[in-house]
Amino acid sequence: MQAFSPFLALRYLLIRRINLLSMFGVAFAVWAMLVVDGVFTGFVSDIKANVRDSAPALLLTGLPHDTGYEQLRETLERDQDVVTTAPRLRHHGLLQATMRSALGARGQRLQVSSELEFDHSDNGFALLLGIDPLREPDVVPLAGWLRRGPAELRRYGYQPEPSPVLDDPDPTRRALLQVPDEVEWRARRRAGLPTERELADFRAVWPGVLLGWPRIRSFRWLQEGDPLDLLVAAFPTTDAAGDAVLRTDSRPFAFAGWFGSGNRRMFDETTVLVPIETLRTLLGHDIHDLESIDLVTDVAIRPRDGLSDAAIAALQTRLAAAVQPLLGDGALPCVVYDWQQQNSVFLSAVELEQSMMEIVLFVVMLVSAFVIYATMHMMVVQKVKDIGILAAVGASPGGIGRVFLLCALAVAMIGAALGTAAGWLCTTYLNEIDDFMREHLGAELFPRNLFDLDRIPCHLAPSWIVTVAVAACGLALLVALVPARRAARMNPVLALSYE
Amino acid sequence: MSTSPPVLAAEGVEKHFRLGRRDIPVLRGVDLQIHAGEKVALLGASGAGKSTLLHLLGLLDKPSGGRVLYDGAPVHDLPVAERARLRHQQVGFVFQFYHLIPELTALQNVLLARMMATSVLGYWGQRKQARAAAKALLEQVGLGDRLHHRPAELSGGERQRVAIARALLAEPKVVLADEPTGNLDSTTAKGVVDLMFSIQQERGLAFLLVTHDEGLAGRCDRVVRMRDGVVVA
Ligand SMILES: Nc1ncnc2c1ncn2[C@@H]1O[C@H](COP(=O)(O)OP(=O)(O)OP(=O)(O)O)[C@@H](O)[C@H]1O
Ligand SMILES: [Mg+2]
Repeated sequence: MQAFSPFLALRYLLIRRINLLSMFGVAFAVWAMLVVDGVFTGFVSDIKANVRDSAPALLLTGLPHDTGYEQLRETLERDQDVVTTAPRLRHHGLLQATMRSALGARGQRLQVSSELEFDHSDNGFALLLGIDPLREPDVVPLAGWLRRGPAELRRYGYQPEPSPVLDDPDPTRRALLQVPDEVEWRARRRAGLPTERELADFRAVWPGVLLGWPRIRSFRWLQEGDPLDLLVAAFPTTDAAGDAVLRTDSRPFAFAGWFGSGNRRMFDETTVLVPIETLRTLLGHDIHDLESIDLVTDVAIRPRDGLSDAAIAALQTRLAAAVQPLLGDGALPCVVYDWQQQNSVFLSAVELEQSMMEIVLFVVMLVSAFVIYATMHMMVVQKVKDIGILAAVGASPGGIGRVFLLCALAVAMIGAALGTAAGWLCTTYLNEIDDFMREHLGAELFPRNLFDLDRIPCHLAPSWIVTVAVAACGLALLVALVPARRAARMNPVLALSYE
Repeated sequence: MSTSPPVLAAEGVEKHFRLGRRDIPVLRGVDLQIHAGEKVALLGASGAGKSTLLHLLGLLDKPSGGRVLYDGAPVHDLPVAERARLRHQQVGFVFQFYHLIPELTALQNVLLARMMATSVLGYWGQRKQARAAAKALLEQVGLGDRLHHRPAELSGGERQRVAIARALLAEPKVVLADEPTGNLDSTTAKGVVDLMFSIQQERGLAFLLVTHDEGLAGRCDRVVRMRDGVVVA
């Protein structure tokens, strides 16, 4: 490379103020790439981790309505890659609370379903998930859910304690998620319900119900042990004409605690956890009836640790195929979903959002590249005479072209360096910046509460920094190629006589 | 002297310009030889093709016909980068309108001539000598105290002296000057011409000088006249 190319490139760079604009453009694009992608990557990986915790590794579903658990369990657990399974029964229901109001002091009870808020986001409707509290901890981190629920609520200023229902040493009581006798006894008295005079004489009877923590918006006053009436409707029988008969049933449960699975939108807001046996009974399958089946709608499956993605996929098909013959003729095909498939709606929404952001950022990059193109083009036009002079002094066309290429490269490199520094600072001190803005300017960069995050998550991978910086320089060189070629191909005689 | 080939020669050089569909002949077979140490004046009416001939001789453009020879070897058909290298080695241009780069100081404009043939590292290694040589040349043309002035801060005569220093830094064998005094008043012009001729004498350069000034032409060793694209005398 002839020495004049970098020399002149540097001169032009320093003298032409317009290059500052290009530099700023590149810096801005690089900064935006780093910050937005850093936050998004952090956000997505946090969300994925949360969602991962909220779902069993595998879930067998798509079962007919009268499927029993025991035969499925045997078949599933026979597979060498399956560690254990847990039964699940899904249904829908309504929650009603027995609430002690101001009137209650004078001995009157007031029944309300829940506080209906105008924003349509919460109500007494519940997706009931019947679980076996003895088996469920083997497939999802249930104890973690019960710690997480109160932790989430503490961020909103509530002071709940983690539920003790899983700590109960008595397996029968634990299987019913029962609150301690004393808790239920006090709750009954609070609600003005008839109960034994002495605590010592009292034995708890209500099964427990666990609510997702966002439901506190409807049940602000709820204390542990408070009665909640659960109402379900089902068609368990047919009449003489063969038509299905709608049967409703309800029974009181004791509020046993708040859970937080990590997947607020798609799980915690809608789901209510109840003991599976109680739910079966409510749906008309009496456990004491020998004819009754141990009804499930899904089976949560825990595969061996450390299976590869391919092995998991193979296991999914294998299990579905093994179960299908048990379901009887004419049954629709059952399926086994992995945790991502179980949350596909949510995860694909997040991924879509990320790709939208990437498109926007790409456009920002293109705009900054275009600014470089425009300034280089302008410089070539302004410097036609210089190009002729250089040729007369002995510059080769390649050397003349390189003046402009190097100029663009320098602009991109300085811009990328500034953008990287700014991006790194911003992501490192993102939460401090956000705190400052919130305190002093009343503006919030990132709605943490909307996503239930303590801190703005941010993962800035070094490989991404390098990729962005190199891409910015590469793009600048690419767009500068056009004006540089134009300069190199200029007829020196015409350039010299250019006015 | 007559035994060695001319440093610069044109043999039947032709040049046409295409304007739309018309082919305009500007040079119609020019023969010219310039030997080392020779001062040649090129005279001719405006539009005779003097500048065009100079550009062809300096390899800034390719002839439509005929040959350009440096030291007896044809060079007009070489690849463009090779012609640039030869131009740098062999020829120094001085133009009527100085043609300095406005962003660079006088010293930098002169130094530019040194940066053409050397690589970045090569230049870095010899930058001290290069600066010293450029300074010495600028002092020789009387601009020792104007090294760091930009062209806009210099008078016409001073600018032309910078241009002369630039043309000479790479130590060419030939200087092609296209009306170098055309833009200067007569006193300044005389100073510039005296300077050029003294350096020419000192270095034994071949000098091709385009001018409209018969007096100036008279100071040269030989006068070549052109009319309508041919040499008439
Ligand atoms: N690129 C071009 N395209 C078309 N015609 C051209 C071009 N360059 C020069 N000419 C024509 O060639 C002729 C010779 O031009 P040239 O500049 O060589 O004349 P000159 O002898 O140097 O004149 P002057 O004394 O005015 O400088 C002119 O008629 C000019 O119009
Ligand atoms: Mg001319």
